[in-house]
Amino acid sequence: MTLLRRQARAEVIESDICIIGSGITAALVAEKLVEERPARIVVVEAGDDTVPLAERSAHRARFVAYGESPWGRDHIDGMTADGIQSRSMQVGGLAMHWGGVTPRFSPEDFRVKSLFGVGHDWPVAYEELDPFYHEAERRIGVAGEQGPPGLDPRGNPFPMPPIPLTYNLALLKRWTDSAGIAMWSQPSAKNSVAYGGRAVCCRNDTCAPVCPVGAKYSPDFTWNALRASRRVELVPRTLVRRLVVEDGSNRIARAEAVRRDRGGANGSPVHFRARTFVVAAGYAWSPHLLLLSRSDRFPQGIANRSGMVGKYMTGHRNVFAFVKLPLRLYPGMNEQHSLVTKQFMRPSKLDRYVRHDLRVWESSVGRRPRLKGDDGAVLLGDALLADWRRRSTEGTARVRAYYDVIPDRESALTLNESAKNAYGDPQPRLTFRDSPESAALRAHTEDSIKALFQRMARAGNGEILRSGVDDFQDHPAGGCRMGDDPASSVVDSYGRAHDHENLFVVGAPTSVSGGCANATLTFLAVALRQATAIGRE
Amino acid sequence: MERVRGPRAILAAIATPSQRSPNAALIQALGDAVLPVELGAGGVTRAVAEFQRWMDGYNPGAEANHGYGTGRIGQLPADPRPQWRSQLAALDADARRTGRPFSDLPRERRQALVRAALHNERGDALPNPLLARHVALALLAHFYDSPAATDLCYEAQIGRQQCRPLSAQRQEPVALVRNGR
Repeated sequence: MTLLRRQARAEVIESDICIIGSGITAALVAEKLVEERPARIVVVEAGDDTVPLAERSAHRARFVAYGESPWGRDHIDGMTADGIQSRSMQVGGLAMHWGGVTPRFSPEDFRVKSLFGVGHDWPVAYEELDPFYHEAERRIGVAGEQGPPGLDPRGNPFPMPPIPLTYNLALLKRWTDSAGIAMWSQPSAKNSVAYGGRAVCCRNDTCAPVCPVGAKYSPDFTWNALRASRRVELVPRTLVRRLVVEDGSNRIARAEAVRRDRGGANGSPVHFRARTFVVAAGYAWSPHLLLLSRSDRFPQGIANRSGMVGKYMTGHRNVFAFVKLPLRLYPGMNEQHSLVTKQFMRPSKLDRYVRHDLRVWESSVGRRPRLKGDDGAVLLGDALLADWRRRSTEGTARVRAYYDVIPDRESALTLNESAKNAYGDPQPRLTFRDSPESAALRAHTEDSIKALFQRMARAGNGEILRSGVDDFQDHPAGGCRMGDDPASSVVDSYGRAHDHENLFVVGAPTSVSGGCANATLTFLAVALRQATAIGRE
Repeated sequence: MERVRGPRAILAAIATPSQRSPNAALIQALGDAVLPVELGAGGVTRAVAEFQRWMDGYNPGAEANHGYGTGRIGQLPADPRPQWRSQLAALDADARRTGRPFSDLPRERRQALVRAALHNERGDALPNPLLARHVALALLAHFYDSPAATDLCYEAQIGRQQCRPLSAQRQEPVALVRNGR
């Protein structure tokens, strides 16, 4: 399928479409492209192949017993960012570790400027994304419950029935009902029935970091099928170091890479030539590659005439609490499943702007065994067990709200010249920053959410055990923001670089804002829409 | 490139005694002293055996699971077994000063020795067993972190972190069967 020829210095691999990165977005884009048209597709992944499903049960056993990493060599020494960035550079990317939580963004997330006068609108509306959300749900397999249609609009039903509420969550739902909050089963990329040739979830409860039975979707399943069909060539252990623009035009001519497993410490050079290049390397490594691709002709890196590559890095913070409730709960029934609502996505225009999701889990916080009693005496034998039982007659709920953070232009990924990898390339530095309007709203937002938690606790005759704010931006995205205006964005809504007609960036890096919910499904919907344009090339 | 170990190698590592574990008779006597009588003699023996297997399978310095959102790669702690073995020997030596080995002391006197050893430990929680500073605390922490301990506390068959039918999660867990499980 692939033309391979030796040159004097660098191996050359040619294809129609070269996809850089093999995470969840790359997997679904490749799968869609393969279905839509005949094309030679090569996927380049810096990391190794991942741990096969057949070995995950044993790896999980050691994770549960000792806390060992279940993923083997899932990272590359020297390839790391300064700032929030999970270490997962392998076939399948970060979604080998993910929890499989797959809510959609709400329609309002795409229109915050038009509706509420804050932040920026996306160049694509929820209604346009709805069929691609459904396509993503179908491809990875999402089990979900239809929420109230006014809050949770969708054009098609979920491909699988919802993960059922546990006994605990049913009790907690009665509690949130009493507080006037409509909640439902969190959509998840976990099989509630056999789906995609994979097993039904059996509540091992270690979805993150590892599902031992394959009930949770992970991108290796898609890659295994694509590789077996010989319709995609995946080249692992090969790090793309820069994209090179063709002389006399703005087209990308090649991706220069190094095979890490050949050629000793310096690796073996390899050039990928293609008609179309798709950068699908996630929020950190996508803008990083564009910035690394600087040259005399493009001193700011490629696709960066606007100066926007690496800018507007985005995400969301959360406020959390643990609420003691007079309920007999049984921690451990399915700790990773939760209730969710979108009731707080639509603030009144008369109120000061606050938008957030809300989730509720069972919890064992405040209910764990301890060594000493209230009098400070060491508890042994039956006394320790009796003490634990006495403190476990009531339950604890974990509540958490992701709230909207509007990114600043200088919320940025830059090249850190003081930290270089084995090949001499500077590594990324990530600095997240709220826009001034978001910073001004922060205290009000967090106080409002804490007040909601207090109101919920009172409705259940409970009390807050503790609450706090996780002071980092979760589900990071951005850095190659999409937009209609080439002066203020890197790519158009189809992921095509404004500056290079045969270069696409897909998924998370193209996000305009982080929304108020886990963002992977949105990244996928956006990427599948972008794949329609790539497929027309 | 580091080779990923296959399941056979991993399970073999868990199952093969390393000869580095503390003395079996002493650890059984410790288990009899600190674990709940409610477990029954068989239950205590099982819990102690599981603790032994867990110790035997430990791989000091192995790469720890790396958390979400951090670039830091950590390693599991150094081998705690030499220290735990010394502590068991110290308990036995203390007992012998009263004229009998630790395993021959009445349960209350064994408990008194353990209480003295744990007097300065943090009381509001049990630690990660790998980080327990005393073998008695490690044994307690290992047992109370188990699905069996949770079931015993709640007197219900929850089966935490074990493969269970998804549909059954709708129902309240059934009561634990006493002395028959």
